[in-house]
Amino acid sequence: MRTWYFSEMAYHPAWDKGIARGSLRVNFPSENLDPREAGTLLNRYLDEFALCDEVGMDIMVNEHHSTATCMTVSVPMALSIIARETKKARLLSLGNPIANRPDPVRVAEEMAWLDCLSGGRIEMGLVKGAPYEIAPANSNPGRLMRRYWEAHDLIIKALSTSTGPFSWEGEFYQYRAVNIWPRPIQQPTPPIWMTGMSVDTGIAAAERGHVVGTLLSGGLAKPMFQAYRKRARELGWEAGPDRMAYAAIIGVGNTREEGLRRADTIADYVRTAPVVYEPFTNPPGYNSVGANVAMLKAGPRAHRMITDRNGVAIDHRTATVEQFMDTETVFAGTPDDVFNQLKAFNQRMGGVGHLLFFGQGGQMSHQDAKANISLFGKEVAPRLLELGMPEQVAAE
Amino acid sequence: MSRNVTVSGVKLEIEEKGQGRPILFLHPGEGLQAGRSWFDKLAESHRVIAPHHPGFDGSVLPDWMGTVDDLAYLYLDLAAELKLENAVLAGACFGGWVAAEMAVRNTNRFAGLLLAAPLGIKAGGVLDRDITDMHAISRAEFMRRAWADPSKGEIDYTKLPDTELAGIVRGRETLAIFGWKPYMHNPRLKRWLHRIDIPTHLIWGEQDGIVSTAYGEAWKAEIPGATMETIPNAGHYPHWEQPDGFASRTLAFTARL
Repeated sequence: MRTWYFSEMAYHPAWDKGIARGSLRVNFPSENLDPREAGTLLNRYLDEFALCDEVGMDIMVNEHHSTATCMTVSVPMALSIIARETKKARLLSLGNPIANRPDPVRVAEEMAWLDCLSGGRIEMGLVKGAPYEIAPANSNPGRLMRRYWEAHDLIIKALSTSTGPFSWEGEFYQYRAVNIWPRPIQQPTPPIWMTGMSVDTGIAAAERGHVVGTLLSGGLAKPMFQAYRKRARELGWEAGPDRMAYAAIIGVGNTREEGLRRADTIADYVRTAPVVYEPFTNPPGYNSVGANVAMLKAGPRAHRMITDRNGVAIDHRTATVEQFMDTETVFAGTPDDVFNQLKAFNQRMGGVGHLLFFGQGGQMSHQDAKANISLFGKEVAPRLLELGMPEQVAAE
Repeated sequence: MSRNVTVSGVKLEIEEKGQGRPILFLHPGEGLQAGRSWFDKLAESHRVIAPHHPGFDGSVLPDWMGTVDDLAYLYLDLAAELKLENAVLAGACFGGWVAAEMAVRNTNRFAGLLLAAPLGIKAGGVLDRDITDMHAISRAEFMRRAWADPSKGEIDYTKLPDTELAGIVRGRETLAIFGWKPYMHNPRLKRWLHRIDIPTHLIWGEQDGIVSTAYGEAWKAEIPGATMETIPNAGHYPHWEQPDGFASRTLAFTARL
């Protein structure tokens, strides 16, 4: 299991006001942000990324828009700084919300440029994006995945074609001369990742051999990973742990209490991230017909719940750190505790090759964030590298 | 009452009732809702033909179809298929936009155009929101803006069968496909409204909070000879909220054609 540290570079000083208004995203005015404070925080977060390289961890960056929860507005912009400040870490973009990007060729150009700059250290996530990203991008939620797949195919062709130019006359995108310079070091393309929460995503990723990642719920991750392995087997290959990724909040400390305290602080991110004005949470077409029928039947007062390992429903907004540990949203404690929790998790999931280490929720101090990264990098990450395919899955 | 026809390769579910001058009625973004009394009231004096838009209810949205232009040509083909003559072309809300796109292309089969609170044109400047962003407000706020009396419009979705809910969900995605960007309008349509060469009547609910009567005046100004009247105690769906007032005004309009 490799470890990829990530942080959404939150603007947490405005959270209280956003929560009081009932929305941290889309319709929360930016007058609630002090640009100089934002600059200070961005520099601090970039220092935390740079520390990961020193302690031997890989790095992941994502992006959101119009929100106090994440100031990263452009994955390639952040990664271009991090690429210059790091030497060994692999750099994961997870990712480009390609169905919300008007220009997929530009995405290919940026990824190729980063791959050259970093000496071939880029891994490329092509993601659907969260529902509340539709409004800031004003992208059409209708036929979203059809647009996603066309952009996906075009980006891969642009990155892997060195004998261009070629033309592309598709349903959503039209170009007459695609011929990107520079082209990527990693051929035919940097490794490709997808994200999702459903069996269908597991199958779609398996059919292309991409890494599939999910976050914060072991209950949703397991069927997706199983669907991936099953589909790969049907197609004649064995999907190892290196195809599976899982994002979780990690808090380590010299004592169990210190680890839990850090995780609890980071978990505030999960408690606040869903605070968004209702109309932006489910644009028409974003979710499947079946999921929407279920939501209409549940009535207007229902809200999203996650379930723990025993199927007990937990409310994201108010859960304790211990409850989050039961849903595999959080791993926390001493380095030994966390290693043992992740080893057991790896066993339950049938082998997860990538841990996406959510190590900064915003409220965490720079000192705590650095200590969390350093301790994990020194005491846990090297041991995780030795975790492979659990025995019972290899024998399946 | 409901039947399927295939037009230009598209399977359409159509509601049809009544005798007299045909009205081809194009429904709002919220669906046809032929079970409300407006449909029977119109059918007392007209042959009402109301297709469910492709993607809504039993009508199929083909992969290749995705613009209001497509709908305009589809329904012109439908009018030809049904051999309509001297018919009334009517549309409400989103359906009014589609009807206008048809009328700027070809009015040969129609004697008059009736538009109830149509979406579809850009009247104000870049910072003016002519059409309420129905997708950026809560359902409760939408109901307050769309109805003079929101209780008349409430639907208890928890009581509907799955098949009907699936039809509603597909309809919502379809409306997004056709109208998300630019939002519920064609920036160039206003420039072509002068081509409408049949008598045109606009009907507006006085409490319409989705598109205002001032927006209706912008339509009236662009269509030669167009007339407009408002209906009290009605919001964005006057045919649903004041079915008697809507039917009588429709009859008064069709009687003078």
